[in-house]
Amino acid sequence: MFFLSLIEHKLRLPPEDLSLPLPKGIKKVLDGIFLDKVIANLGLCVSIYDIRNISGGFIQAGEGAPTYTVEFRMVVFRPFTGEIIVAKIIESDNDGLRLSLGFFDDIYVPAHQLPQPCHQIPDPDRRYKVRWIWEYDIEDTGNPEQYNIDGLDEVKLQVLNVSFPPLPIEQQEKPFAPMLVTVSQPSTDQYLNVVWGQFHGGD
Amino acid sequence: MKIKEGNAGLIINFELLHLLNSRGAAKDTTRVMASVGRSEYKVYDYLVGTVACNQTKEHINEFLEKSQKFKLTKAEILSIINTRPSQLVELDPIMCRQIVEQQEQRPELDMEELLELILQVLPPPPSETEPEPEPESEPVDEDNNKTADAEKNVPDE
Repeated sequence: MFFLSLIEHKLRLPPEDLSLPLPKGIKKVLDGIFLDKVIANLGLCVSIYDIRNISGGFIQAGEGAPTYTVEFRMVVFRPFTGEIIVAKIIESDNDGLRLSLGFFDDIYVPAHQLPQPCHQIPDPDRRYKVRWIWEYDIEDTGNPEQYNIDGLDEVKLQVLNVSFPPLPIEQQEKPFAPMLVTVSQPSTDQYLNVVWGQFHGGD
Repeated sequence: MKIKEGNAGLIINFELLHLLNSRGAAKDTTRVMASVGRSEYKVYDYLVGTVACNQTKEHINEFLEKSQKFKLTKAEILSIINTRPSQLVELDPIMCRQIVEQQEQRPELDMEELLELILQVLPPPPSETEPEPEPESEPVDEDNNKTADAEKNVPDE
């Protein structure tokens, strides 16, 4: 889910941070620039791991703050294809589900990736939202049980794809998501049955 | 900004949790004084809810040592440590990716043995206080309550 990335960046250290020990001041500026931001084709920056090298410190003509060239390692979030992650459901509509990890909200399960067979019913509580119901026959009795795919459970998913859509030129209705993770339920049939059983307190 | 090395190494959830803890994320209840940002706290909250919160360096090292004979790939080891599958059906999707080739190359890979190793070495998540059902063990006493007290009186079997 997470990996390290070695990055080099030129930054300006504002005068109010000059009284701090240098690594602390630099880390403060780096946090402000990178934390909680998505770098295209790399991932979501989570945390600064360590600072490898600081050089520079010259004040350029016409400026009031020193410029440093910093080489550091950063923890980046980007699940690889095929990885299993655990997430919570936050939205469900016609096109599928949307899940969240707390710090990352743009995980989508397209409708065709939901465990089959399943169908949707309009959600009585919210307009324009639907609730998905999965019919699964555990004991092969010919009488499938209905499992609600609702917001109470945690779901284990397998990552299919991570994409970084380009910045839109015009304003869109939905808030722009710089990084999208598309997932599916893992392919084994029995899998979901067991997971459901665990989170519903046993069958 | 220049990306010098896009991938400088994979990190397991435990390592990231350890890093945040070393900065004081766990101790500061006000969340203002430790040098941990708000977005980092969100990641911390997520990690504390996974199996990583119970793990220690010894667990990880022991698992890495003992799993060497299975010749697992890095991705598989990472997934296993991060999710700690407790049943065969949970282990399947992790191992399933390289179905045909792997089965030819390592026919001695015993899923049940691997699962036993996982259950034995890696600690369970805090929500599971019931003893795990293992393939060849005797039936678990059904009156076991899901409380910490029950764990202290393990029935003799």
